[in-house]
Amino acid sequence: MGDERDGMYGWIWRNLPGNAWVKALISLVLVMAVVYVLFQFVFPWAEPLLPFNDVTVDNQ
Amino acid sequence: MRVFVRTVSELFITVGTLIVLFVVYVLFWTGVKADGVMDDQIDRLQEQWSKGAVHEPSGAGAPASAPKPAAYRYGRPFAIMYIPRLGFTWNKPVLEGTGTDVLKKGLAHYARTAGLGQEGNFAVAGHRRTYGDPFKDFPKLRSGDAVVLTDGTTWFTYLIDKGPDKTVPSDVEVIDPVPRKSGYTRPGRYLTLTTRDPEWGHSHRLIVWAHLDSTQPVEAGKPRALRR
Repeated sequence: MGDERDGMYGWIWRNLPGNAWVKALISLVLVMAVVYVLFQFVFPWAEPLLPFNDVTVDNQ
Repeated sequence: MRVFVRTVSELFITVGTLIVLFVVYVLFWTGVKADGVMDDQIDRLQEQWSKGAVHEPSGAGAPASAPKPAAYRYGRPFAIMYIPRLGFTWNKPVLEGTGTDVLKKGLAHYARTAGLGQEGNFAVAGHRRTYGDPFKDFPKLRSGDAVVLTDGTTWFTYLIDKGPDKTVPSDVEVIDPVPRKSGYTRPGRYLTLTTRDPEWGHSHRLIVWAHLDSTQPVEAGKPRALRR
C-alpha cells in the first residue's frame, strides 16, 4: 500500500488530516496505540518463546 | 530501484524499532509488572493471615509438631520467603506450581515436593532474570545463609548447607526428598532453590540446598536471621 513516491510512513503522513501540528499529534497517538497493543498483547505472547522461563529442573 | 531500496529501509527501521521495544519489554517492563503483581500477592497473603483464614496455630515450636500438609492450590500464594543475603528488603511470595503463569507472579513451589516445614524436600524455583529478577544474586548465596519463610502462623528458618551448585536442566534428582549430591544421607526437612544459569541463558540450573534449622510461631516475633 506504500506510495510510489515516499513509502509507507510518507503515505500515512500525507493522509492524515489537518496541518503539520495536527498531523504530528495524531502520529503520536498512533505510535502510542501501536506500542500499547505490542506491550499488552503481542509481547506477552512472544516472551514465553524465549528461554527466560526455564528455571525449573523438570521443565513442567 | 529507488522504490525497492526505500521499501527495504522502511522495513528495517520498523523491524529494528520492534526489536528495541521488545528488549525494553523483556528487560524492564516485565520487572515493573512483576513487582506490582508480587506486592499484590503479598498483600493478599497478609490480608488472609490477618483474618486468620489459614489454619489455626498448631503448637509450633519443635519441627516435629509442624502442621499437617496444607492443601496448596495451584497458582495461589501460601508463603513469603525472606533471604537476608539477597537484601534486607528482599521478600517474595511463594506460589503453588511451577507453570510459566505462576512464575510471573512470584517464586514457584514444585507441586510434587513436600510442603513447607514438612518432612521431605520443599523445592522452589524462581526467575533469575526478567519478571523482577528475584534470583539475580543467586550465586552470592553461601552455606550458612538463612532462608526464612512464613505461612502466616509459623516462621521457618532454613540454613543453606550446600551453596550454588551447577547442574543440567534434566537433573530432577536435585529436588528428591533426599537430594543426591546435596550431601544429605538421611531423610529430613530440606529446602531446595533452583534457578537458571547462566544469567541470560538456559543451558544449566543453579541449585542450593538447605535444612530446617528452627521454627517459631509468628507471635514470638521475627526469627533472629531477620532482625537487623
